Amino acid sequence: MASDVASREIGAGGGDGAGLTRARTTGGHVTLTGVTWRPFGRREPVLRDVSVSLLPGERVLLVGPSGSGKSTLLRAIAGLLETADAGELKGSVTIDGHIPGSRAGEVGLVLQEPGAGVVASSVGRDVAFGLENLGMPRAAMPADVTTALAAVGLDKSHDTPTSALSGGETQRLALAGALALQPSVLLLDEPTAMLDPGHAAQVRASVKGALTAYPITSVVVEHVLGPWVDLVDRMLVLDDDGRLVADGPVRHVLEQERQRLLDMGIWVPGAPSPSPVMPAALRAGTPGQRASSQDIEATALTIDRTVRLVDGSTRTRTAAALESGLSPQPGSATSLVGPSGSGKSTVLLGLAGALTPATGEVLAKDRPVADLSTSELAAHVGWVPQWSSSTIIGRTVLDEVLVASRALGQETPERVVEAHALLTSLGLAHLEGADPRELSGGEQRRLAIASAILHRPPLLLADEPTVGQDRHTWAAVVGLLDAYRDAGGAVVVSTHDAALIERSDDVVELSPPTQAPAVDQPRRVLAANAGPLALLLGALVAIPAGIIPGHWRTSVVVLAVQVVLAVVALWAGRGPGPRPRGRLKRVALRMVPGLIGALSVGWSTWLLGGNDLTTAFTAALRVLIIVLPSAVLLPLVDPDRLGDHLAQRLRMPARPVVALAAALQRVHTFGEVWSEISLARRVRGLGVDTRRPVALVKHLATVTFGLLVRTLRMAADLAVAMDARGFASASRRTWFAAAPWRWPDTLVVLGALVPIAVALLAGP
Amino acid sequence: MATPTTESAAAETSATSLTGRGRSILATRPLLGWRTVDILTIAFLGAALGIAFWGWGVFYSGPLSAITFGFAPLGGLFAGPWFLAGVVGGLVVRRPGAALFCEVTAALVSMIPGTEWGATTLVSGIVQGLGTELAFALLGYRAFGIAAAVLAGALAGPFAAFYESFTWIQDWSMAWKVAYAGVLALSGAVVAGVGGWLLTKALAAAGALNAFPPGQEHRENRAV
Repeated sequence: MASDVASREIGAGGGDGAGLTRARTTGGHVTLTGVTWRPFGRREPVLRDVSVSLLPGERVLLVGPSGSGKSTLLRAIAGLLETADAGELKGSVTIDGHIPGSRAGEVGLVLQEPGAGVVASSVGRDVAFGLENLGMPRAAMPADVTTALAAVGLDKSHDTPTSALSGGETQRLALAGALALQPSVLLLDEPTAMLDPGHAAQVRASVKGALTAYPITSVVVEHVLGPWVDLVDRMLVLDDDGRLVADGPVRHVLEQERQRLLDMGIWVPGAPSPSPVMPAALRAGTPGQRASSQDIEATALTIDRTVRLVDGSTRTRTAAALESGLSPQPGSATSLVGPSGSGKSTVLLGLAGALTPATGEVLAKDRPVADLSTSELAAHVGWVPQWSSSTIIGRTVLDEVLVASRALGQETPERVVEAHALLTSLGLAHLEGADPRELSGGEQRRLAIASAILHRPPLLLADEPTVGQDRHTWAAVVGLLDAYRDAGGAVVVSTHDAALIERSDDVVELSPPTQAPAVDQPRRVLAANAGPLALLLGALVAIPAGIIPGHWRTSVVVLAVQVVLAVVALWAGRGPGPRPRGRLKRVALRMVPGLIGALSVGWSTWLLGGNDLTTAFTAALRVLIIVLPSAVLLPLVDPDRLGDHLAQRLRMPARPVVALAAALQRVHTFGEVWSEISLARRVRGLGVDTRRPVALVKHLATVTFGLLVRTLRMAADLAVAMDARGFASASRRTWFAAAPWRWPDTLVVLGALVPIAVALLAGP
Repeated sequence: MATPTTESAAAETSATSLTGRGRSILATRPLLGWRTVDILTIAFLGAALGIAFWGWGVFYSGPLSAITFGFAPLGGLFAGPWFLAGVVGGLVVRRPGAALFCEVTAALVSMIPGTEWGATTLVSGIVQGLGTELAFALLGYRAFGIAAAVLAGALAGPFAAFYESFTWIQDWSMAWKVAYAGVLALSGAVVAGVGGWLLTKALAAAGALNAFPPGQEHRENRAV
């Protein structure tokens, strides 16, 4: 069956020259002539008159201050400037004389945020994404996928879930996905900026290995230069205005331009750490009136995190374990350190009361911190999330700093004066009236810290406060934290920044918690052997089955048949593995809203359909007949396979189906985004207050809006990553996974048709 | 994708800014040339709104049905949020099929975790999406202001009522069915229409729609 599908697809998708283009492994010749790019709505161009020529096989390091257009230049080289933005482009970019991207996957691109470019739910599929877009026959894919994974040293089986990878592994996955297309140019946009040192080193080793195996032209954007110097030949420097100001052999440029680079805030190798800039406002201000008593303390604890999957089921794992108690002292700084996955952020969330420990507790003066009201929490804790952009509340910068003070009823004239002073000392004074969402990443980070401390909570929690900062913003951020500590505050940061760890009074080492042994997979129920389409069809066929019966006696018979069928469908059979648990409970739980619906429909039919009890009863039973199969079959639908089946079985257009599948496999991350935005509001005194319905609705609306904004950003990033892998031109693509129609599918559909037959036969 | 299309967009942008208010900035040509970011945005918007739908559904079948139990057509007043995805999808991407695709995605995502209506949620999504899509099509995919949004939200109502007249409200008298369609249209016009238009504006103001016509409209208005 599988080979039959594969051979058909060779006929359908082949013949686009995939084999021809795959022969090359040499680097491309990149030529930029007078490239100027101004996004609509911005007065000044981001790139100005950039002309440069990169020779085949050259390895280039691209540096510049934050906001200088480095990422933009990479997108220009990849021909993806207009993928997720609109603007005015002048000049030209060519690779080997033609427009970039004329061949799918010609330019490989790895984005800064791990996971931003993940397309599929398994490692194999994700690497094969570009090959699918090229229309490569399925049978040829696994070999290429294995080769690409080997080139980046990622030793994972093809069916490893992408969600199980660490940040560093995810970046190497992205690299493998690019290499699978045999690019002639490889672009890496700060590939290690968000990783801990161990994972960053692994990624660099992968890049080095890959570039040795494939000597292609490559451009790396980074602002921590040290580890890359030996990997590259040439260095380009962009200035604040988006102009190319230096270009030459890497060591030469480093020497010649050292001062300029330091002024730009670049982490030049060998330069001493910048000295933190202490904001005058905090030093001279009224230091921590309430910071005298130590407020929040944690016992030894473990924290579980539960992920809600798209099919409604949940997955719980131990996310963090704190082996001894933690009581942040006034005037001290504590660093939580450990590899990614060790639960640093989770512990911070526990300290902020957003997650309740499974064992142990976090107390604020003998009360669990999770029980504090939103204003009590705001008075106790300031929290700086890693993603400051999606937790912005205020309309202006000044507004944003004052959010918590206002919620606490402390928006006094003195406080406003303090806010001005704080913003001034952070170099944000000129932006007081600006929309905080339009600030640069570094500015937003400083603003987030300022907003967390202006009202002087005794405890400040900061999640990776220095990640991705240049020397200047690093100095500002660290200075702010230092000043806050010196003013009597207790500071807890999660970090892997050695210089920041060195400055702290206390270091708490976390290690990844031991997981409870995996429970044996329970046996499958019978209907779970069917594919998603058959299950969906089986559920939909219930609509006619519900409509046909004209009398409640027929309906009762149909419903009885459905119940019998449901028992068969949920029968677990024999075989290895434990019996699945909670099958009935799950169906019952899903039927509760259906029962309410049946009551409501029955009642309204009696009221509006001639006060006839027989009709009303029939109408109510109709609802149950229509809904019951859904309650049985829909939980068995595997969303990860839905896309394959829609495209291959129903022949739906490939690109929307792929987009749908990509969205479905991200849905489980929405819960985390939701709780982060909720916490950001709660900790600033704007949390949900269930006693006030209007405030509750407002809260839900605001958090939903925040989720939408973040979701749209995900989509834009993913669009860039997907177009870099040939998605734009993939109208006739192939599929890594088969979507066969098998006999369980037929059985489910036939079974679902039985109630219709019964309805027709039992009717009058 | 191709460079030439954005030049026409740029021309279009300046043209509309000259003609002033009342004209919508349109999607890049060709109208059916969906960019990757268009497709992904609709899918992700649909997925996020689908989760919101699911949450609204819990409220709708729980506390809210206690209120609307007395008189079912009133329940239609609270049906507007279901039409939101189609309106927002249409307003953001401004291409044929955007409204339908977004509404169906949202329905699908809200269906999988389990709702009051099971798999018929998907059918409702398709039907409501068709109503919304029809509104934008009737306007030739040239108008995306508040009036268009209201029409799109309102048209989903009769479509939904027509479909439900075969299932949930089959035995109501004709007059009540028509009244119900009217109530749905009203709710759709206000909640999905005006609400969807406001939501799109807010998303544009948050800088989340820079690659889309509403984002450009926002920038143009601010520039003036």
